[in-house]
Amino acid sequence: MMLSELLLELVLMPLVAFLVGLMMVLWMRRLGARIQRRVGPPLLQPLYDVIKLFGKETQISHGILHDIGIVMAMGGYIAAETLLPVPGMDGIAAYGGIITLTYLMMIPSLGLALGVGQCANPNGSIGISRALTAMLAYDIPFVIVVFGVAYHAGSANLIEIIDAQQQAGVRGWGIFEMPLLAIAGLITLQGSLGKQPFEVYVAPAEIATGPMVEMGGKYLGGLFVMQAFQFYTTAVLYTALFLGGAESWTALLLKSFLVLTIPLSLAYLFPRYRIEDLVRLLWKWPVMIGLLGVAFVL
Amino acid sequence: MSRVFDELTNFARARSLFILHYCTGCGAIELPPVMTSRFDMERLGVSPMVTPRQADILLVTGYVSIKTLKRVMLTYEQMGSPKYVIGICSCTVNGGMYWQSYATAKRLDEYMPVDLYIAGCMPRPEAVISGLRELMKKIEQGEANSWKEYYRNYDYYLGNQQHLFGDQWQTPVDVIGEAEHYGLVGDGTRGEHTALLEQVQHPLKPLEMRL
Repeated sequence: MMLSELLLELVLMPLVAFLVGLMMVLWMRRLGARIQRRVGPPLLQPLYDVIKLFGKETQISHGILHDIGIVMAMGGYIAAETLLPVPGMDGIAAYGGIITLTYLMMIPSLGLALGVGQCANPNGSIGISRALTAMLAYDIPFVIVVFGVAYHAGSANLIEIIDAQQQAGVRGWGIFEMPLLAIAGLITLQGSLGKQPFEVYVAPAEIATGPMVEMGGKYLGGLFVMQAFQFYTTAVLYTALFLGGAESWTALLLKSFLVLTIPLSLAYLFPRYRIEDLVRLLWKWPVMIGLLGVAFVL
Repeated sequence: MSRVFDELTNFARARSLFILHYCTGCGAIELPPVMTSRFDMERLGVSPMVTPRQADILLVTGYVSIKTLKRVMLTYEQMGSPKYVIGICSCTVNGGMYWQSYATAKRLDEYMPVDLYIAGCMPRPEAVISGLRELMKKIEQGEANSWKEYYRNYDYYLGNQQHLFGDQWQTPVDVIGEAEHYGLVGDGTRGEHTALLEQVQHPLKPLEMRL
């Protein structure tokens, strides 16, 4: 591959991810509105929010780590996008593989922890300690799922995993070959998105949105951008692992929005668990289902 | 070029408003219908937020007692600019039915610049929505700049606050420092009241760690 082509892809992939991510945020808010019998926000609402937040005239920083933390939170996902193969663009997916991607997806939480730590707000500290506990809870089933899929495909390279599924046709998709792992992956997805049954760290009524409590202006704007990337990354990764990736952008958008609809519609129907219930539940059910799935794969 | 950029930000600002509703009085009961399915305010891009740092609009619903006003001031000063204040109910306009009360602040705009009043006792959700639309129109035309007034006439607002709360009153936010940093110092920023504040002001110390 030409170097210039690679550089272009490295710029384009996060950019496309950002735009699709904003569409996903809009989809989340529209879906919630429809479930609650409301009209919902207009088409460009996520974009207006981001522009407004970056356009605030006074910005309150709590120090250098506060700034760096937000950059890490966004940068972790931006780096992850270049490792996610999408139709027409592979980026550096062939060199990174799924293990690097797993590591990169943890960086945003850690960056957020750094940034929130400097804010020295008790609500923020409670929120971030909950977020890290939640990460501990969902990462174990996530690693089991990723191991199972990689073992089944005989490769930790996402491009090869997708190719193997596409050559085997629809019957060869991960969701039909490894249904137990797909179920465990779906529960993990809900945990990693931090949506309602597992929404322990963003608790508006209790700890006033947890990690975001001291974030205003461009910092909150950064977190909005991060959320867009987060939706995109998790949905596209699930599509690549279990739904056979996608040959065209239409198929990718269709599949990833479909994947995202499941946790989001659950989120608007259920209240949430307490933190210790979350850890107990995530370490029991997805881990058991995942281990059973791995046993079938082996 | 910068004018185009300003217009774009104003356009986005008018369409994305995060409300911090400081529900002090009976007007708060009219807000749930505004937010939920009957009068859905999210279709205007207005959504509720829970902390002052994230919010754009401070919605003061109903009467403010003197104790409450201290908290409202702390909240207002922590919000990031541009920020807008909406006073709902006649109590924020002129004291309303609490006119004779010794413990109630009569007019909200003596203590902070108010962009918009929605009068009524209590205003219907339709009135709240039309008030929000009015504010959006003002923001889009770049006229909702009353947050700058707080920096430019800080002495006046501080004087009124000191009149109510006593001479020892101070907030954690260094308003004069912020005004200097953002170039918003006006004729009324410094005066006799801020001189008094500088005399009694003691620097904020971190809380003692104790188990």
